[in-house]
Amino acid sequence: MQNQSSGEHGSLPLAGCRVVERSRTAAAAYAGRLLATLGARVVMLEPEDGSPLRNAPPLVDGDTGPSALFTYLAAGKSSVSGDLASPEGREHLARELSQADIFIDDTPIAERAAQGLDPETIAERYPALVHVSVLPFGATGPKAGWHGEESNLIHASGEGFLLPNGLSNEMFPDRPPLKIYGHFAEYQGGTVAALSALSAWWVASSMGGQYIDVSVQDAMLLCGAFALQRLGDGSLEHRAGRSFRYGGVFEAQDGFIELLTLEDRQWRGLVELLGNPEWAQDEALQDSLERSRRGGEINRHVREWMARHDVETIVSKAQQLGVPAAKYRTPEEVVHGEQERSRGLFAACRMEDGRDVEVLLAPYRFHCSPLELGGDVPLLGGESSSSAGENRS
Amino acid sequence: MTQVMAPLAGVRIADFTIHAAGPFSTHVLSQLGAECIKIESKTRLDAFRKPHAVYGRMTAATFDQVSANKLSVRLNLKKPEAVDLAKRIVAISDVAAESFRPGVMKRLGLDFETLRAVKNDLVMLSLSSSGQSGPDSHFAGYAPLFGAWGGLGWMSGYSDGPPVEMRHVMDHTAGFHAALALIAGLHQRRRTGKAQYIDLAAREIASAMIGDALVMASLGKDIARPGNGDLHMAPHGVYTTVEDDRWLTVAVSNDQQWRALVATVGEEALADDPRFATVAARRQHQRELDELMNRWLARFEAGDAAQRLQDVGVAAHVSWNMQDIADDPHLHERGTLAHVHDPAVPDRLAVGAPARFSCTSDVGIRRATPELGQDEDYVFGELLGLTRTQRTDLEEREVIL
Repeated sequence: MQNQSSGEHGSLPLAGCRVVERSRTAAAAYAGRLLATLGARVVMLEPEDGSPLRNAPPLVDGDTGPSALFTYLAAGKSSVSGDLASPEGREHLARELSQADIFIDDTPIAERAAQGLDPETIAERYPALVHVSVLPFGATGPKAGWHGEESNLIHASGEGFLLPNGLSNEMFPDRPPLKIYGHFAEYQGGTVAALSALSAWWVASSMGGQYIDVSVQDAMLLCGAFALQRLGDGSLEHRAGRSFRYGGVFEAQDGFIELLTLEDRQWRGLVELLGNPEWAQDEALQDSLERSRRGGEINRHVREWMARHDVETIVSKAQQLGVPAAKYRTPEEVVHGEQERSRGLFAACRMEDGRDVEVLLAPYRFHCSPLELGGDVPLLGGESSSSAGENRS
Repeated sequence: MTQVMAPLAGVRIADFTIHAAGPFSTHVLSQLGAECIKIESKTRLDAFRKPHAVYGRMTAATFDQVSANKLSVRLNLKKPEAVDLAKRIVAISDVAAESFRPGVMKRLGLDFETLRAVKNDLVMLSLSSSGQSGPDSHFAGYAPLFGAWGGLGWMSGYSDGPPVEMRHVMDHTAGFHAALALIAGLHQRRRTGKAQYIDLAAREIASAMIGDALVMASLGKDIARPGNGDLHMAPHGVYTTVEDDRWLTVAVSNDQQWRALVATVGEEALADDPRFATVAARRQHQRELDELMNRWLARFEAGDAAQRLQDVGVAAHVSWNMQDIADDPHLHERGTLAHVHDPAVPDRLAVGAPARFSCTSDVGIRRATPELGQDEDYVFGELLGLTRTQRTDLEEREVIL
């Protein structure tokens, strides 16, 4: 079946780029997904019984049905399956890699040589290939062999220890720290893998291929670098002390709001939003450093006011007054959001079981050549119905 | 300028970005070798050059990671001549990046269409909270608001608590994606010779982080906030240890790991307990299981428990603070942690190269945070060919300010 807009694939940013992805983690799969949506042709090299991500939670019907995670991460890719320990599997691998520009692999180091996936072998056989290893703690260093799931990795990079801050921490100060939803740290690893791959590919014509060692821990740490910067300033951050001095999460009558005023004019807007209350007329509060010192007092007043008003009124009036305020929206509200609809954030896609669903296309617009989902979720060992290979290059 | 052997060496960026997300994107590209010209002004100091009271920082920062590697020039963009100079910088750059509120660049006369007229194959990034289009495009926002709008804040938090505020990592996630999009734009330009305009909405980055939950929502399915729990793995969580406020993260993904775990904590008798024999059973008895885990692990020092569990194939790691990270031999050996040396800054650690490249070395932090206007001899003098007299004149008329 021809994709409706097949003639236009050549205009996508990465048209002509061929990627082979061997993924069992969200990190490697996200790297491939980012490249696929930018126009690369991405082939998942799956084991005979399929990538474990095909069964990764959440499953769309609770305990059964296709994986919502896999649907999101595999949309627009194609699939080849085989056992890399067998001669046939090796042939598949050789065929795919000989045509590829980029290889993304998250096979644990100990298993690589037996599958012909060690960097030396790959470099010798495919000198022009950009080979990207994506592992929880990277491919070198004393912890290269360590196991790491998302919850371990977000804590290994320092961000987990700092969560939650603000209201959640005030309410539950004795509870253990908290991860961010989903695969946040692994997605940082995936993004770094994708951007490193494209950087190496940028010089591949002059320098040939090379091997890139990406660590999810490293990527998440760079993402959270501000906390290390604070350490350099002499401050060891803790979730209990990381709150904004004033502002943060507030409970309104019918939902939660985020409010943050960093500029003086935003503060003046907030005072107006609150109806110019008596306490806010204190001259001393004109000074931002004084406001910072008296943040707890300010927040008590704001909380009391928020609890008496509804989210929509607060948010619309705040935005009119130039006060940064936002509703904490549910996934359902995001999917049906006017803003998201207007920007075409979602694209139609068919899941493995034939059901149609919408998936987030890409979190950026390319105005001169709009991005598009290259196809559906591929069946094991097959391309998705609408992503014939020639369309992508 | 010193010759740099990193993959993006030779790529030049005219950097108008402010706050955290935009500057992080160009910082990442600079780590990868791009030459990044940070265009700023005394009239509107960058956030790190002044106190950040809401955050409790009462003075300017001495080091700013997202400004590291960058060259600094001053241009007072309220003056038309400064705008002309900015255009001349763009004309000799490959990339322009900005993160003002939508409409500001147009008002300054530096929007994509105008800049494309001086550089016909420009790759330009506009990074904003809600994007350049749509009913919310004028909304002002910072990282916690991106998380709130995008759904990530709602999905994060204790199951019975309020949503959680995203911090700088939200900005920097947007920055990583922006860096990726810009490199993709450069590849496209190389192939087609054409310009590209990338419009990144930070709130959509927050949404991309819950892409699986959005699939569920599009099917009309509910998805609960999982807290530290997992829908398949059990035990899975953050547990107490013998040390105060020293937590251990453990994620057990199969029965073999479960048996290895109980043996490690000296509870072999429970290996065949039907309440915990399978993943389904362990999930069913999760509360009981978490209580047992807390009790068992409370006998161990956190780092020791992590090592013992890793030794038997169980994913475990201490919930680390930044001092743990600064002291970690693994991160030092990998070169993830970089020592920043600068006459103005006492030796300190920053996060270096995003990845290790086998051929193109020099990826990472090559210099610390620039002083305001530190690189004007190179940029205004060498690149734009302005004479000392011309520059003095422009300074006196507050064009360079």
